[in-house]
Amino acid sequence: MNSKTPLAAMISFALFSTMPVYADDLDALKAELMQMRQDYEQRIANLEQRLKQTETTAKQAQYDVAEVKSAPAPIQVTQNNSRFNPAISAVLNGKFSDYSNDPDDYEISGFSLGEEAGLAREGFSLGESEIILSANVDQLFYGQATIALHDHEGETEVEVEEAFIETLGLSNGMTLRAGRFFSPIGYLNEKHIHAWNFADAPLIYRGLFGNQLSTDGLKLSYVLPTDQYIEIGGTVGNGDQHPGSGEHNGVGDWLVFAKTGGDIGSNHNWQLGLSHWQASPDDREYSGGHAHGGGEAESVAFNGDTDITNLSFIYKWAPNGNFKQENFTLVSEYYYLHDDGKLSHEDELASYDGKQYGGFIESIYQFAPQWKTGLRYDWLGSKHRASDDELLEDADLDATGFNPQRYSLVLDWLPSEFSRIRAQVNHDRSSREDDTQLLLQYTISIGAHGAHSF
Amino acid sequence: MKSFLTTSLFFILFSATAQAEINIFACEPEWAALSQELGGNKVTTYSATTGLQDPHYIQARPSLIAKARRADLLVCTGAELEAGWLPLLQRKSGNAAIQQGAPGAFMATDYVQLTAIPTQLDRSQGHIHAAGNPHIQTSPVMLLEVAKILSMRFQQLDPDNQVYYEQRWTNFELRWQAAINKWQQQVAALQGLPIVIQHNSWDYLIDWLKLEKVATLEIKPGVPPSIVDLNKIVKQLEITPASVVIHAAYQSPRASDWLVEKTGIPKVALPFTIGGNESASDLFSLFDNTLQLLLDASK
Repeated sequence: MNSKTPLAAMISFALFSTMPVYADDLDALKAELMQMRQDYEQRIANLEQRLKQTETTAKQAQYDVAEVKSAPAPIQVTQNNSRFNPAISAVLNGKFSDYSNDPDDYEISGFSLGEEAGLAREGFSLGESEIILSANVDQLFYGQATIALHDHEGETEVEVEEAFIETLGLSNGMTLRAGRFFSPIGYLNEKHIHAWNFADAPLIYRGLFGNQLSTDGLKLSYVLPTDQYIEIGGTVGNGDQHPGSGEHNGVGDWLVFAKTGGDIGSNHNWQLGLSHWQASPDDREYSGGHAHGGGEAESVAFNGDTDITNLSFIYKWAPNGNFKQENFTLVSEYYYLHDDGKLSHEDELASYDGKQYGGFIESIYQFAPQWKTGLRYDWLGSKHRASDDELLEDADLDATGFNPQRYSLVLDWLPSEFSRIRAQVNHDRSSREDDTQLLLQYTISIGAHGAHSF
Repeated sequence: MKSFLTTSLFFILFSATAQAEINIFACEPEWAALSQELGGNKVTTYSATTGLQDPHYIQARPSLIAKARRADLLVCTGAELEAGWLPLLQRKSGNAAIQQGAPGAFMATDYVQLTAIPTQLDRSQGHIHAAGNPHIQTSPVMLLEVAKILSMRFQQLDPDNQVYYEQRWTNFELRWQAAINKWQQQVAALQGLPIVIQHNSWDYLIDWLKLEKVATLEIKPGVPPSIVDLNKIVKQLEITPASVVIHAAYQSPRASDWLVEKTGIPKVALPFTIGGNESASDLFSLFDNTLQLLLDASK
């Protein structure tokens, strides 16, 4: 197709450059063209003739094969189990938790925990119940919504976890998404909590985001036309999701990311991701404020600039690439957050420079089609400097050289791909108080069969 | 000089059309092989899975996104076989050509009559496919039906090479019919052979060869059978004995092995698709090998 332009150029060159001088030659050229055209037409006619003959022979052959079951007529079946309804599924889960310490005293040294970032209540509790709707909207868009219901202090809260539209094959590997979505900041962050390999979030997710970071805004991604998978993209958001804060009229936070990955033989797959997020929080509140002389405690607030960098690595193994029988997954992520600004509490003000970092490494081994086991190690660190140490204390950021760590062991029984019974034990040193935690959990999915990302 | 010029003009024109290629992303090896048969050197094919992988459980991994990104045509089974991974690849690829309903998305099961369409959709019955049994590549008759329509799709996508694709189709049809003929003579003796199957992957093969399915080890598809289930089957086999138990090469032979140990009937691992074993290297050898294995086991 691309040769059309040079072709046209060459024709015009051939014609115009020769026309004035060699009129005779032009006639010769015309004659030659006519000749070639005739030849070509002749050849097509021959081909058509041969095709007809072969068709007749083929039909004959079909009659000869009397034994072949008369093939059912090809039909177009509507193979869409939802007809025009969106695909609907619900994820339900329940938990039994037991801790050696009082969960109300739970804290992570050097991190200030938001409201939802604490531990689930002891004993029986209902986890988040999610309703997921998705469908192609029309020829251009796909839409998805995840509505989560959960109890908080005796009341049932409804939360829109995700609600976005996304282009369907915009063009050339581009995809645009708009709405609320899990930010593509890290590997686990983009997955629903129920698809995680452990019953609770990695400590760094709990400490930085209160489990998960979502974005209200736009996401643009581009898959490069290379043999090697390379995807780059970015998001812009309103900047009000923790650790962002405040109302921003324009772009309140932005993120850029890059991912690459591939196969090594048919047994090994890997993916590597890098992302960087920035926001300028207005009055990010730290819940750990201590009341000064009676009355309601006023929170410490942060104003300034925050950036987060993530590095993630995923490796999967399955013999012959057949994940059904046996497989192994290794996920490791590292986060680094930097705050630069001011802390304020009541009338006090202090300049503040904070660093929070940490990561986790988890390995999951599915040793039989219905059984999985896994190990996870979390570690965290922080370095905070403020012109007034009292404010650090008020904000619960006064970690003094203590690095939280946690070891987790999990065992899953998967009666089918729609149900999972899980037992998990944590040895948690989020603070100086060692805690041993036992979590028993069921998670089920009913309704449409969703696809799972890598 | 001018005659050279004109000839080179035509040469450029024709070589340009001759290079037009359809970049095909096949979900399973049988569709890659069929596309290659029908497309010859005008297509390039890539198979997302191998004969040793369970096509229900494939990861929408990075390399597949990169391949889907550049594909002109998806050739897949459909009927929800790839429901766990293909929709994700289509969305993540950002490739308009391969979205559902586009000419570049070819689902083979859209063009044949499927059997075993469940009357009741209830997941307590195991991993059932609402659209019917999707494993159509076990019947050469069904493959032929798909081939005809696939060739038409090639012609639609690459009209410059229409004649070429028509010729390839005619040629394939002749060879395939002859092969079906040969196979049917070869296995006439297998008609009515009582067999036990591990998973319901073989409905269309059984229909074609007129085998007698006595029992299915996975009573509920996708759910590994319990000892209680298996013991029931052993009892049943005492009344209606079977000659052979078959499973696909990619499946764990545990259940079949257990039955072999209990009853002494021979088991055979059929390739199921191309690459399921070393002999099944193309569509013709897939059936040559499958039938030979069945014949050997039934002796």
